Amino acid sequence: MPPRLGHPDLGLGVGLRTAHFGHILREWPAVDWFEIISENFVDSQGRPAYVLDQVAERYPVVMHGVSLSIGSTDPINFEYLEKLSALARRVKPHWISDHLCWTGVAGRNTHDLLPMPLNEESLSHVVERVGIVQNVLERPLVLENPSTYVTFADSTMPEWEFLSRLTEETGCGLLLDVNNVYVSSVNHDFDPIEYLNRVPHDRVVQFHLAGHTNCGTHCIDTHDGPVIDPVWDLYARARRLTGGVSTLLEWDASIPAFPVVHAEVQKAKQYFGDCSGRASPAAEPRRAVAPRSTKAVSNPVAFIVADSE
Amino acid sequence: MSAPRHTLDELQRWMQGVITHPEGAAAGIESPSAQEQVGVGASQVEQVVTRSRTLSAIERLDIYNRAYFGRLLECLREEYSVLAFALGEELFDAFAVGYLQTHPSTSYTLGKLGESFPEYLAASRPARDGDTQADWPEFMVDLARLERIVNEVFDGPGSEGRPLLTGERLQEVPADRWPNARLICAPSLRLVELKFPVSEYFGAAHRKETAPVPPARDSFVAVNRQEYRVRRYELTAPQHALLAALLAGESVGSAIERAAALSPAGDDQLAADLSEWFHTWTTAAFFRDVVG
Repeated sequence: MPPRLGHPDLGLGVGLRTAHFGHILREWPAVDWFEIISENFVDSQGRPAYVLDQVAERYPVVMHGVSLSIGSTDPINFEYLEKLSALARRVKPHWISDHLCWTGVAGRNTHDLLPMPLNEESLSHVVERVGIVQNVLERPLVLENPSTYVTFADSTMPEWEFLSRLTEETGCGLLLDVNNVYVSSVNHDFDPIEYLNRVPHDRVVQFHLAGHTNCGTHCIDTHDGPVIDPVWDLYARARRLTGGVSTLLEWDASIPAFPVVHAEVQKAKQYFGDCSGRASPAAEPRRAVAPRSTKAVSNPVAFIVADSE
Repeated sequence: MSAPRHTLDELQRWMQGVITHPEGAAAGIESPSAQEQVGVGASQVEQVVTRSRTLSAIERLDIYNRAYFGRLLECLREEYSVLAFALGEELFDAFAVGYLQTHPSTSYTLGKLGESFPEYLAASRPARDGDTQADWPEFMVDLARLERIVNEVFDGPGSEGRPLLTGERLQEVPADRWPNARLICAPSLRLVELKFPVSEYFGAAHRKETAPVPPARDSFVAVNRQEYRVRRYELTAPQHALLAALLAGESVGSAIERAAALSPAGDDQLAADLSEWFHTWTTAAFFRDVVG
């Protein structure tokens, strides 16, 4: 299997968000690529669809979903898969990704990325479903490690092992969210460096970076601010281990102007070419990671329904 | 290796019940639906979900529980931002939490999350507070209905990039063909019948300006999209009858008869009105073509 499943390194991209539509259409900023939230567009017949068509003509695009629910025991939603396929035919994404999670059961959708118990039964279940999805989409799926806040007594393996065996048995790729590794490592008391060392590096197709909220006793994946320095350090290590792959910044709540988001992902360049596994000397003062008192909500999704700029 | 104590399906149904319980994870664990899947009480929950160095299992489950309502309330506030402004956050959230409990999302898309909110508000509205108060609950239901339709038109089918009916094309139709002609309406054109004239209030609230609740009277609004901008058009009863008939596929002659039946104007005045209306509506991209 070639590195990155044969996919190119697209460079440094940002998530396409409604709040930035106007800026992007006016300025056509020099961003390397965009990741779209698939659910924003699969049913759109209005301005979002129009903007996406304009963007896809000019930039490399990747489709990232939040509703595949690959780990759910509910039947696979083939209507949704067909809509993903149709969108893929239209925008020709380099790859299609979603999360190792379930979003609901018994016909419901919580619109959260819920954690899987990590054991032989759940691995077998997800392996079977990834195979079905890959057949429908006619391409390898790329799955992301989610931020999680609970672990199950029934789990028998660490997440990196689950993902390694999943990629081995299905041929799927990994979207390695470095911030999620950090958040989960704090929440579940594991060593993030061991996690990075043990995932199958040749299957990593993409990195995610994002900000999170440190609540003192735990971290929440809020995507509402800059990337903190310990996550940049993990990113530097992950780049060294994988040889570097497409990198994308997510900023989904308290979204600043596009140039701020773009500048944040550009900071990744400070960590290019560093083979020591340590972060390069920071060009600017390193931010302290002070706990914040917060009503933080994980996986913000309101930007998906926002209809104005 | 010991077998899992709970199947994947049991764990998922249990956890969903726990994290969507409106009174928190501990109450969710004790709820009949969760107990049916995994029969442990709140004090034994660490047999199912492990604790961390800093948080108990219930505290960890509560992160998901708080996020469930927080996340979906935020979505409803976005979708119904005008209604949320009009009601105020506390009252809006109270209705929205009730709605999420009776109408949980069953779709892959958040676009359908609020589709039944106006009907929920109508069914759960408080009784009218005597004769001296305006019937504000009914007004808020109207506001919600209009806002939902505006949102549906925003991202629904439209005419952008396709030919539209022009004034010139209308004038090319011989007079004797008009009665049997049919107008093809834009796919984005929607009509709303309301009990209050909410459109002006809607505009003010959209700009985050306060405005008085107007007295009740039958009100009609057309909502349409042109070049990806959604606009509202207040209609008179004859105008509404005419457009409703055209949308239903009736001939122009039949539609005009419906308008005439409601119009106080004489024939000459109605003819002048019709000319003006069709000019306005053609400019506003209400029609795609004329056939027959």
